[in-house]
Amino acid sequence: MKLAASFLLLAFAAAAAAAADPVAPNPAAPTSTPSAAATPKPGKTVKKRQVKVKVAMRDGMRFEPPRFTANPGDEVSVSLENADSTHQPHNFLVLMPGKREEVVKQSLELGDKGPAQEFIPVNPAIIAHSALLNPEGAKTIHFTMPSEPGIYPFICSMPGHGMIMYGAIYSGVKMPALAEDQNIPPMAAQVATPGGGRRPFVQRIFMPNSGPASIAVALPGNLNFCWDATQCRLRYTWRGPFIDASAHWLGNGRELASVPKEPWWSAEKRKFPFKIADAGASPAVKFLGYRIAAGLPEFHYEVGGAEVFETITPAPGDTGLVLNYRIPKSVHSLEFSLATGNAKLASSEGAFDSGNLRLTPAQAADFTVTLTDSSPR
Amino acid sequence: MRTLACSIAAALSIPLAALAANPDAAEKPAASMKDRIPLFYKIDAVPMPPGVDPQVGGMAATPDGRLVVAFHHGEIAYFNPKGQDWKIFAEGLHEPLGVLVDTDGSLLVMQRPELTRLRDTTGNGVADSYETVWDGFGITGNYHEFAFGPVRGPNGKLYVALNLASNGDTVHEEIRGEWKDIGVPRAAFYGSWSKVSKQVGRMYSRVPYRGCVMEIDPYTGAGSLFATGFRSPDGINFDGNGNLMVSDNQGDWRGACELFIVQRGGFYGHPASLVWRKDWDGADPTQVSIERLNQLRTPAPIWFPYGSYANSATQMVQIPKTPAWGPFGGQMLIGEMNAPTLLRVLPEKVDGVWEGATAIFIHTQLLKRGLHRFAFIGDTLYAGHTHLSWAGGEGISSIQPTGKTPFDPLDMHVTPHGFRFDFTEPLAADSTDPSLWPASRYYYLYHAAYGSPEMEKTAVLPTKVTLSNGGKTAEVELPEMKLDFLYDFDLSNLKSASGASPLNPRIAYTLRKVPKN
Repeated sequence: MKLAASFLLLAFAAAAAAAADPVAPNPAAPTSTPSAAATPKPGKTVKKRQVKVKVAMRDGMRFEPPRFTANPGDEVSVSLENADSTHQPHNFLVLMPGKREEVVKQSLELGDKGPAQEFIPVNPAIIAHSALLNPEGAKTIHFTMPSEPGIYPFICSMPGHGMIMYGAIYSGVKMPALAEDQNIPPMAAQVATPGGGRRPFVQRIFMPNSGPASIAVALPGNLNFCWDATQCRLRYTWRGPFIDASAHWLGNGRELASVPKEPWWSAEKRKFPFKIADAGASPAVKFLGYRIAAGLPEFHYEVGGAEVFETITPAPGDTGLVLNYRIPKSVHSLEFSLATGNAKLASSEGAFDSGNLRLTPAQAADFTVTLTDSSPR
Repeated sequence: MRTLACSIAAALSIPLAALAANPDAAEKPAASMKDRIPLFYKIDAVPMPPGVDPQVGGMAATPDGRLVVAFHHGEIAYFNPKGQDWKIFAEGLHEPLGVLVDTDGSLLVMQRPELTRLRDTTGNGVADSYETVWDGFGITGNYHEFAFGPVRGPNGKLYVALNLASNGDTVHEEIRGEWKDIGVPRAAFYGSWSKVSKQVGRMYSRVPYRGCVMEIDPYTGAGSLFATGFRSPDGINFDGNGNLMVSDNQGDWRGACELFIVQRGGFYGHPASLVWRKDWDGADPTQVSIERLNQLRTPAPIWFPYGSYANSATQMVQIPKTPAWGPFGGQMLIGEMNAPTLLRVLPEKVDGVWEGATAIFIHTQLLKRGLHRFAFIGDTLYAGHTHLSWAGGEGISSIQPTGKTPFDPLDMHVTPHGFRFDFTEPLAADSTDPSLWPASRYYYLYHAAYGSPEMEKTAVLPTKVTLSNGGKTAEVELPEMKLDFLYDFDLSNLKSASGASPLNPRIAYTLRKVPKN
């Protein structure tokens, strides 16, 4: 199972970023675009790597993106755009690690001297700064990352702004998952995760390795799954944090949500789980929607004219998933089969025989299949 | 800039009065003048619900005077202006870009993958039923395939508009809908994109019914093709007379933003969606001659002059016929993304042909950019802002008329020898001087390239101006009337009888037909 970074569509963009960056980038984090990747060769001068980043100043005192990656010694160009529609002026200061609070405090203390020096305090911890950007203004600043790896804060030093308007450059340091990043404003970390980390939660979004009409679900506990509303079936399930939607939401929708952990179970790519009567392996399905009860969706669809209701809940102890299917007007026998992979399959009706289950019309009216996670953990 | 910086030294945010001096806005119309907007409109920010990315994709008013708002991350929330409180009704939708309140109180929401009906069946004030009304269209996963609407026609049918895909991006490995190979086989979409991107055209359509306006039966969920030829039709709505209006954005095959009055079976210029017409011969739309396209298409009734009026036109909404909105009641306003500008559109049907004017309506640095979605509750206009990482804004503004009507051009009609202007107040007697009525005449190219320069731009001065209707109407005669040109007037030097200058001196008429009499 491949994650977003290797998804075919994004392969060229993500591969370029990954190849040039020895620090594994979070595929969902809006990252810098290195334009001259250089592998040091013995006996040759090391060409400095150039990093170009776009940073917008947005409503509500925010930098977008709130963080990006670089490496020590990189020549960084930050193209700034003041896109704050509330017409606030902003600036952009890059600071030495750990100096954010000190410089923000100093900028507040400038008092009436602030305007004359465009709110830039005198402090050797300031590596680089822009001039003040008026609303709709744009500027590009250039600086070189210091040779020490570290987390370099950036701030707006307008009085009062820097307390909430800041971000971080990860220079040769691994970036944590956005939702767990302590070096960016809490709001920026929160919006990355649909529902702000609440469980259960249902989010429709572009998902890797699924159709474009996908539904991501965070179950209570620590299981998550991706359900494909085009094919009307479960595609994969993973443990741990829910999706990171920041790249999809901060941009124009080009990026997919990213799945932070490798799924422990994935369905086959083009195989509907059951056959009703003589319908083939890819029967005509029609998605009819879902109903939310206790925060969880009950999917509703038609397969070859039969209405199906499907719920997916965690097995006791989060040992796997319980898939419940109801076919209220069941009149045909049903053949059910799922990829096994890391799952042990069990059924409430009938018995699995090498991944296949045959059910009578009465059994098919309401049956449950349990996928027990048997992956090494 | 120094002045601006000084004015904010003592405060955390800019006093609004300082904004009129914003030098970056100097080239925008009327920004250099002292901002008179507060005399006519009170503009405020609506408090946003916590934890929500406040980009507005859809907005509507409920019959009981609440706003229903669709946000960027997929929340649908109600705002009660009386208590200024929010209630989240639904969550987790995928880029909803329109919401309609149905007669039974349920909501119809157009999101990227489908038209969805949201219902609270348990009575706890939160939606539990997310019913798919219509998903019979394709999605390739290309970011530009936005979906707009729904709006309800006088016949009870729903109408939605589907964006084309952009060649700034390829398609997902897994798609929905039947793929149509047009010139380029699908496998090539997963190879070297730089080559394929040139072959497919700037905007392309490979799955049904990208680039089309669709008609949907809300009861059966059956969808059918209504009209073709759209690019990025962010604005869709009916006017007060039951005409379906669609606005589309400047780009390829759109020299400027355009407004259409859409008829069943019509083709409105962007060729990519022609492949979904039942009568289409299978030709690759990028290879079809301009002559053939010109035979098929209905040119836009209204161009929005690019740069000075609108760069990205958004939703139309009818201004209520209440005393506070005065003579503007019943007209349609339209938003703009890139500048803090609301405009009016004034289409008219002349000898069977739609054409008309657009006028700047409210332009002020007191208003945020990204004016995307609109709804009226009583007299109050709510404007929802968005940017989706492009130019724009966030949040919701409320615009409350003070009840004082500005001196402005109210309407504009074509006559056999010129134009007839109606004003909100009588003009000064010396307004018959033709030199007070300067205009320029130009047109935009219809071509595959992005946008268009102003072509054959020529200064035009009227030959004769006569006043009637107590000075509120002016008949302006021009030396010649050239079809398919925009007549863009700058009425800055006019004065009302009481000595006022127009609040919005810019009005531009797209001439498609000159009446016989």
